[in-house]
Amino acid sequence: MAETASGGDRLFRSIVAARPKLVTGVPDGMLAQTIMLCEASPDFPYIACAREEECIGVACGAAMAGERAIVMVQNAGLLNSLGAFATMGLRYGLPFVIIVTNRGALADPNGYDIEKREAFDAGVRPMARVFDFDAGDLPDDLIPAAFKWAEAARKPVILALEKRLGGEAAP
Amino acid sequence: MSDPKPVQSNLPSQQDAIAAALALYPARPFAVSDIGSQTGWLKAAGHDPRNLYVSGPMGLATSVALGLASVRPESQVLAIAGDGALAMNLTSLATIAGAKPANLSILLVDNRVYEFTASVPTPTRDLDWLAVGRAFFGEAQCLRLSELTGTRWAGVARPAMIVADVAPAPGKPPALGLTPAMIRAEFLRATRSS
Repeated sequence: MAETASGGDRLFRSIVAARPKLVTGVPDGMLAQTIMLCEASPDFPYIACAREEECIGVACGAAMAGERAIVMVQNAGLLNSLGAFATMGLRYGLPFVIIVTNRGALADPNGYDIEKREAFDAGVRPMARVFDFDAGDLPDDLIPAAFKWAEAARKPVILALEKRLGGEAAP
Repeated sequence: MSDPKPVQSNLPSQQDAIAAALALYPARPFAVSDIGSQTGWLKAAGHDPRNLYVSGPMGLATSVALGLASVRPESQVLAIAGDGALAMNLTSLATIAGAKPANLSILLVDNRVYEFTASVPTPTRDLDWLAVGRAFFGEAQCLRLSELTGTRWAGVARPAMIVADVAPAPGKPPALGLTPAMIRAEFLRATRSS
């Protein structure tokens, strides 16, 4: 049974509001609802990649043409893609948005996720701007705001979504 | 395991194979080349604002080309990959076959070595790339460069793949001589004027 992600529909509406030219990704349980909504959307193509590093390439191809692209992957998937993120996204200064489900939080304690989260903190945060959000309480203007930031900064931006305990503060 | 493919002295150079593939199109396509040999030989074959020189990692050109093809559906896009590079992103063929972009093709230049890395042999040197391409795209959508003409290529449905056996070069191609900012700015202008 697919994992239900509260806020999946809200995330989709925020994606639509940003008017991307394409969305690409590899599924994670927390993203499943949003991905299925993107697959069905008439507003943009959703490119289902076999591997996360491909998603970075797809987004870079769109961004090289000046178009908005969104990547949706799990934290382990972004860790698999850091070479592409650095040598294309950062090197060419491409303003696309990466939505990462940052598994292994206090409220999300699967044993197989813990090291992914620790590797994400150690490997991704020092090289890129990461903004953290409660997956269950996403702002409506999240994705448009992320594009505005990325386009001003001339680099990719990472939005890390995680499950939170009641009242738990952002990292 | 089969015997290694014999090295044939009458094979075209990578530069000539790239030029011949680009010449199959009635109008210059966007050309997205992998880092290293393909980028160097693409530029040597003729610099064009529609060239997108990918700076890594190896094999990503097919994925970058898919993203470009998706946002420029009216334009033809040709990804140029070496055999060593494509083997590093073989899953992109499955993704492209699934996405079915009607304007994307792949030129696979097979010299059986990592040309930029002291020409160390690739693990795919015995692979039948024509069979690989046909497994993903279909019999009629994967052809050898040597059997193509512009007229025949125009009738091939996309996504498609061209396989070109090429001779290993005696040396590396000339340096690119372009910064990432220069490449991005020039390519962006080309995509907006197309």
